[in-house]
Amino acid sequence: MDKSLSKEPMLEMFIFENLQLLEQLEQTILAHEKERCLENAVINEIFRIMHTIKGSAAMMMYDSISSLAHAIEDLFFYIREFHPDEMDYSKICDMVLDGIDFIKNEIGKLEQDQEADGDSSPFVENIEQYLLLIKEASANSNLINEAAARPAGLQKKFYISTSKSPPTENIKRYHALIYFTPGCEMENIRAFNLVHKLKDQAEQIDYLPADIIENNDSVEFIRENGFAVIFTTHLQQEAINELFMKEAFIDSLDLRVMEDEEWEIEQLRARNQIILEDEEPTISNNRAKETGANLHSGGSRQSLINVNVDKLDRLMDMVGELVISETMVALNPDLTTATRLDNFHKATRQHRKIINELQDIVMSIRMVPLTMTFHKMNRIVRDMSKKQNKNVELVIRGEETEVDKKIIEHLSDPIMHLIRNAIDHGIESPEKRAGLGKSPIAQVYLEAKSEGGDVYIILRDDGAGLDKEKILERARARGLIQKPDSNLSDGEIFSTILLPGFSTCDEISEFSGRGVGMDVVLKNIEAIGGTVLVDSAPGQGTTISLKIPLTLAIINGMRVKVGNSIYIIPITSIKESFKAQRGDVIVDPNGKEMIMVRGECYPVLRLHKKYQVKSALEDISKGIIVIVQNDSGSICLFVDALLGEQQVVVKALPKFIGKIAGISACTLLGDGRACLIIDVANLINPSKS
Amino acid sequence: MKSVLIVDDAMFMRYTLRRILEKNGFQVVGEAENGLLGAQKYGELLPDIVTMDITMPELNGIGAVQLIKQINPQAKIVMISAMGQQHLVREAILAGASNFLVKPFSDERVVQVLNSI
Repeated sequence: MDKSLSKEPMLEMFIFENLQLLEQLEQTILAHEKERCLENAVINEIFRIMHTIKGSAAMMMYDSISSLAHAIEDLFFYIREFHPDEMDYSKICDMVLDGIDFIKNEIGKLEQDQEADGDSSPFVENIEQYLLLIKEASANSNLINEAAARPAGLQKKFYISTSKSPPTENIKRYHALIYFTPGCEMENIRAFNLVHKLKDQAEQIDYLPADIIENNDSVEFIRENGFAVIFTTHLQQEAINELFMKEAFIDSLDLRVMEDEEWEIEQLRARNQIILEDEEPTISNNRAKETGANLHSGGSRQSLINVNVDKLDRLMDMVGELVISETMVALNPDLTTATRLDNFHKATRQHRKIINELQDIVMSIRMVPLTMTFHKMNRIVRDMSKKQNKNVELVIRGEETEVDKKIIEHLSDPIMHLIRNAIDHGIESPEKRAGLGKSPIAQVYLEAKSEGGDVYIILRDDGAGLDKEKILERARARGLIQKPDSNLSDGEIFSTILLPGFSTCDEISEFSGRGVGMDVVLKNIEAIGGTVLVDSAPGQGTTISLKIPLTLAIINGMRVKVGNSIYIIPITSIKESFKAQRGDVIVDPNGKEMIMVRGECYPVLRLHKKYQVKSALEDISKGIIVIVQNDSGSICLFVDALLGEQQVVVKALPKFIGKIAGISACTLLGDGRACLIIDVANLINPSKS
Repeated sequence: MKSVLIVDDAMFMRYTLRRILEKNGFQVVGEAENGLLGAQKYGELLPDIVTMDITMPELNGIGAVQLIKQINPQAKIVMISAMGQQHLVREAILAGASNFLVKPFSDERVVQVLNSI
């Protein structure tokens, strides 16, 4: 490979494209493994993908990847062409999946700027041996059939020059000895190409070695001895010389006119040697047709480009700034002095509309369906059920649900942990299931749905369920629960399995480990502003729901006024708002205020007290009550006034401020003021975070 | 400056070829990711040269060569092949391909072949 080509973008593309191909391949194999047979289309797809990877890897000089891909390509070439009967599909799938893993691993190294130094030769050997095995097996069983099926076109035909006219004065017979540039590869085909071109200009073309296509040794012969071709033409020597030398990769050419006698002898010899090169390539043609037909069913792919996520982030930021600056213009304080603004308002409305659309598009660019993440789990389920001898089926629903790219990155690991846990600890052995009267095939449901500004990812298994007593006992032993049992809801008990240092399984398995997984799940999900809910019914299974925000970047917020400050409450957490009368407020002996709404009692939190804002309204009947809720409960927030709904760009609190209880982030308002976004979950349940 | 259409289903290969060609004074006028699109684009762009991968979805390189040759019998097509595809290359030549390259290839080889046709 030319060193002058800068490798970076090429490497990036190599990694991107091949990972995508491998992912696609893995899905295809997993989807078809169950059917115990591989359709032509699938075989073709595997063949094609491996072929592409082989080519790309060879260009980048990753020999280990390229040779492995080549071996798999060979295997599937054989399967495609000869449809051997004796095939162990499970084994083939294993081999291909192992191969995929190896290549993925190598590409992973490249991604991290390491050398792809893995050794694929054991895989290659394994595959080659297996190929040999099925070749032998089918050779034994199909010997007779094959011989009968062999088309006559393959038989060697000997060629006697069609034109018998002796040379006239203008027509001469030439002898050319050609050497190709070393390393140009496929010398035999180059020779064939040369002859093919010569046909327009010359007659009675004979050449040595004769069997350039059929015999692969001809390549070696041509490399060592050159390619000799004899032909008759009316062209002058210079013209022929030019014709040859124009051709690429010709190292040297020795061209001379043959004498008559020499010609005679040569012609005699030729009768026995030269193959008719017009022979119809029966087999190959059939294959090409078949290939074409099969490829047609390959389906169309969407045309996609890959964009650096950093660029998208920057774009997102810029759109955020644009939204803010638009508000700055539209609500500019100078406008209050103007008298007639009809046209201005008309223009700003249009402006805002366009910006909103732009914002939607930018958001949608960042949105990625969960398909990839979900389908990755097929492999986990397959591997685990195979190793643990459990029969588990993964049912995926709502994979098309889209989530911000940044959030998706944080989802894969938690879901993987949860699935491993479910299969390892939740699902019983087939015998036990049979004893319990359950279907021998256990099911794990992985479902995604979006509700409002949140996405729910629900993982449900039909296994044994969580053992409440055991969890309680364990949690107490580890000091994870302080409250008395009677005060604990089921949800609270089950949630303790998410705490660090909790593990219900005494054995450690290869997959789910020592129970460090569950708190990683919680941590990961909380990092993206999500929550985890655990529910379980003994004997019927466990359901774990992950509630995650659709996007991190922009939220719909309600601007509320408290004194001179403005806060943002995320719209999704607002249940309702109302004016309260002084009499509605109940004060408990500790001085805590509560409000009764339709028979339900909610604690009241005065935001001005919480955030120590001065000169705020104290009288509850003058301000307004906003009921906010999340999974763990509801609470009434007392604010001065609602100012209106607004999309706000969420910006993390600067590092020097750090984490503040009750505040999740900040944003900029249209007039350039910074404004805090209220962390509803923290206000409702301060102990949780 | 000769115009080139790149037909290859691997984005990586298209990119690599484009870089090599543009660096060496060719003008890449289009790319296509399968044989069918390749033939279509040939009809639209009528480039001087086409580089044609062999193994592609929808329609393979040989089918595409046949289609392109129907559009223009004088079309110059260079096949991009890999080791082990001798038979397919031969078919491509019979179908009318002018020459071929074998992956992996270097800049010089690409330029050499494209200049020779």
